[in-house]
Amino acid sequence: MDSSNDEALDIIITNVVATFRTRCHLNLRTIALEGTNVIYKPEVGKVLMKLRKPKITASIWSSGKIICTGATSEDDAKLGARRLARVLQKLGFKVRFSAFKVVNVLAVCSMPFAIHLIDFTKNNRPIASYEPELHPAATYRIKHLKATIQVFSTGSITVTGPNVQNVATAVEQVYPLLFEVQKPLKKKEKS
Amino acid sequence: MSSRVCRTCGGSDIDVDQARGSAVCTSCGSVLEDNIIVSEVQFVEGSGGVSSAVGQFVSADGPVKAPLLGSGFHTSVGKESRAQTLQGGKRQIQQLGSQLQLNQHCLDTAFNFFKMVVSKHLTRGRKTEHVIAACLYLVCRTEGTPHMLLDLSDLLQVNVYILGKTFLLLARELCINAPAIDPCLYIPRFAHMLEFGVKTHEVSMTALRLVQRMKRDWMHTGRRPSGLCGAALLVAARMHKFRRTVKDVISVVKVCQTTLRKRLTEFEDTPTSQLTIDEFMKVDLEQECDPPSFIAAQHKAKMQQLEQELARKLDDVEGEISCYKDEIETELEKSRPKLRGIYAAYAKEIDPEEAEVLSSTSDPEEQEVEDDELQAATQHLTQDFLCQVIQEEEGRGKKTDDNEVEAGPDMEGAGSQRQAAPLAAILGKLPSAASLGLQQTLDESETGEKPDDEQSEGGELDLDGIDDQEIDKYILNEKEVQVKTELWMKQNADYLKEQKEKEERIKKEKEQGTYKEKPKKSKKKKEQIQASTAGEAIERMLEKKKISSKINYDVLRDLNRGGTGSGGGSSPSRASSDPPNTNTTARKRLNRRRRKKANDTNRDLAANASIMGKRVRLLISSTSKRKKTAVQAENSVAIVTDTSTEAAAEVTPDPEPVPSSTPTAPSTVLEEEEDEEEEVEEECVSALQLVGDYGCEEEEVF
Repeated sequence: MDSSNDEALDIIITNVVATFRTRCHLNLRTIALEGTNVIYKPEVGKVLMKLRKPKITASIWSSGKIICTGATSEDDAKLGARRLARVLQKLGFKVRFSAFKVVNVLAVCSMPFAIHLIDFTKNNRPIASYEPELHPAATYRIKHLKATIQVFSTGSITVTGPNVQNVATAVEQVYPLLFEVQKPLKKKEKS
Repeated sequence: MSSRVCRTCGGSDIDVDQARGSAVCTSCGSVLEDNIIVSEVQFVEGSGGVSSAVGQFVSADGPVKAPLLGSGFHTSVGKESRAQTLQGGKRQIQQLGSQLQLNQHCLDTAFNFFKMVVSKHLTRGRKTEHVIAACLYLVCRTEGTPHMLLDLSDLLQVNVYILGKTFLLLARELCINAPAIDPCLYIPRFAHMLEFGVKTHEVSMTALRLVQRMKRDWMHTGRRPSGLCGAALLVAARMHKFRRTVKDVISVVKVCQTTLRKRLTEFEDTPTSQLTIDEFMKVDLEQECDPPSFIAAQHKAKMQQLEQELARKLDDVEGEISCYKDEIETELEKSRPKLRGIYAAYAKEIDPEEAEVLSSTSDPEEQEVEDDELQAATQHLTQDFLCQVIQEEEGRGKKTDDNEVEAGPDMEGAGSQRQAAPLAAILGKLPSAASLGLQQTLDESETGEKPDDEQSEGGELDLDGIDDQEIDKYILNEKEVQVKTELWMKQNADYLKEQKEKEERIKKEKEQGTYKEKPKKSKKKKEQIQASTAGEAIERMLEKKKISSKINYDVLRDLNRGGTGSGGGSSPSRASSDPPNTNTTARKRLNRRRRKKANDTNRDLAANASIMGKRVRLLISSTSKRKKTAVQAENSVAIVTDTSTEAAAEVTPDPEPVPSSTPTAPSTVLEEEEDEEEEVEEECVSALQLVGDYGCEEEEVF
């Protein structure tokens, strides 16, 4: 079984989550009242601001910590974060852009074949776990990459990891395992 | 008796005398053993001629040291914490296991799992209930019993996913590989519950065949096994001429109607469904189907392809139209009145900013950029799709000029084009900088990019690539701010009021020096009972709330009424004696209470203890009322339950202080009633005592 993908599997990054700090206290009420596209949640104590350009939703806390979600690439996330900081700057806060870190990357990938989950779980016993009563996908956790892969029987998989590189590596790692337990399409032999 | 070798002479001939309990070597005569320990059961005659065996029961997993308490007196006193945990766990396992009808072997295995879990400290931070349930389910899985996680969650009334989480964690930590669930396991159980009578076995067999068929048709991966079983059983029942409706089946199987219907439809799609009943029983089709979700996904993929083709066709057509559209747009823009609102700033600053940034760019580029700006603006006003297409066209056209990095038929195309020039600096750093050559000319025109890393360390905001006029869009102008402020204030009026009250309260308490930081807890607001007399208030409160099941409310009610008549003579004496006692205690508790209630704005309902305490409390109320006037800002300062612990006095003092200050009485009574429940909970023991006391008191009085 070849692990190098001849037919270039498309790994589509659907979500990038990043955090950064503005190193200054933010008055949430001002932001809420003077910004467009903001939702103020005083009970929780944060403001949600949505940017259009890189489609990003940011949760802003009064301590100056900001979490950006919804970006489709790491650079996008950084750009969005900087835009956001600029908006806050314009509102009058002395923001400084520091400690930017991509925390989580979610990617989706589709295999051209279906997968037999029970065999997959049997082969990779402690690393993979499958509970059909709870969730239709089998979960495969790669500890050293800190990546989690959810494998569905249709052949599509979702990968979450701390950065894009890890996600790509994880997919490469898991591909041969999935290839082994693929379901043939309307064929008589079983794998 | 093992024949040993004598130490002195080496002879192996040793004589063991059981009566004397000694072992002697016959050759040299040396005594090898004296007082041999025998393992026999001894009997002792007890009182009344009963003979009982001598000895104590020692549990296998109990403490190592022998229990000092004799004759099987089991208490938890004197045992260490670990033993207690295990004992408690064992008890719970037995309880839960018996409800599931698990045999003893399974329960023992579950207890072993539990011991392992405890030794690995996995019980920390988890409810013992959950851990026990997970252990039991682990056993069920390894043994292959037809118990579902849903059953356990039903028994415990816990969310099944929480149990599942605990179960997965335990399985992982204990390295126990639970075999996958086979839906065939559940068939007999569900069939039994559906009551097929004599034919249960036949129906089960049919259902089993159906499930196996489903498995081969890949209907079972990723699905709850119970759903499949339900569908199989339904079909099997119908095949054997039993009228089982969907509702019957879902009540047994615990899935919803939609799921069942879906499974049936999927099964319908397989070729097996075309067979007749007899054929099905005899023949097994060789062909296997794709899983239904896979088929659905393929269907989706086809639809997407079709859409893409359509889009492409539209592109070609739109290409022509877009050119005309551009020209029209430019003409319109020149003759158009000034744009309002956020676009005003936007339109105004286009030229100067762009001029700055794109100093080296050519005019046609600028024009195109402007066009782009407009395009983006119109995008908000007109259909997204068309504009996107137009953008794509532009993008393709622009590629030759600007070498757009991110241009292309994706969502980003529209935005990134607009930012083509300002983004150049950032884009230049991207790995896919095939067009870096051209870009660098733009770069030089920029205000000298600083490497991002340095900036982020220094905390300075890198303004490259951030279009200010776009940012301004995100900020409302003054008028809009006003409008929004009004709206927001109106929307959140309640919350703001709450906040103000809280602040005021804190301020007052700070002034009085009684402010205490409390962890914020969400408290339910309780409505006040409006009543004119004490009796009415009690009744209303009783109606609303039954606080303790150990109190006889009828008696309490009667006491209130009965006490007024009798015991009038004894009460004054008691009244005189009690106040001195209760005053001091009352004051002490008053302070304590006051501090506790410092932050309580809500007037909570009085506890039931207030009823009991009422008699004595109203005795004290005269003193406390004075205190109250002093501490007006405080809420319920009443001494509630502490007085309840006192010997119950009659209600006769009730009317005495009450009429003395009738207007204030109801309010104070109410205030006293409106005490925190917490106090009751704390002193529920005292309430019990009180009831006990009451028994005695009543007897004394009446």
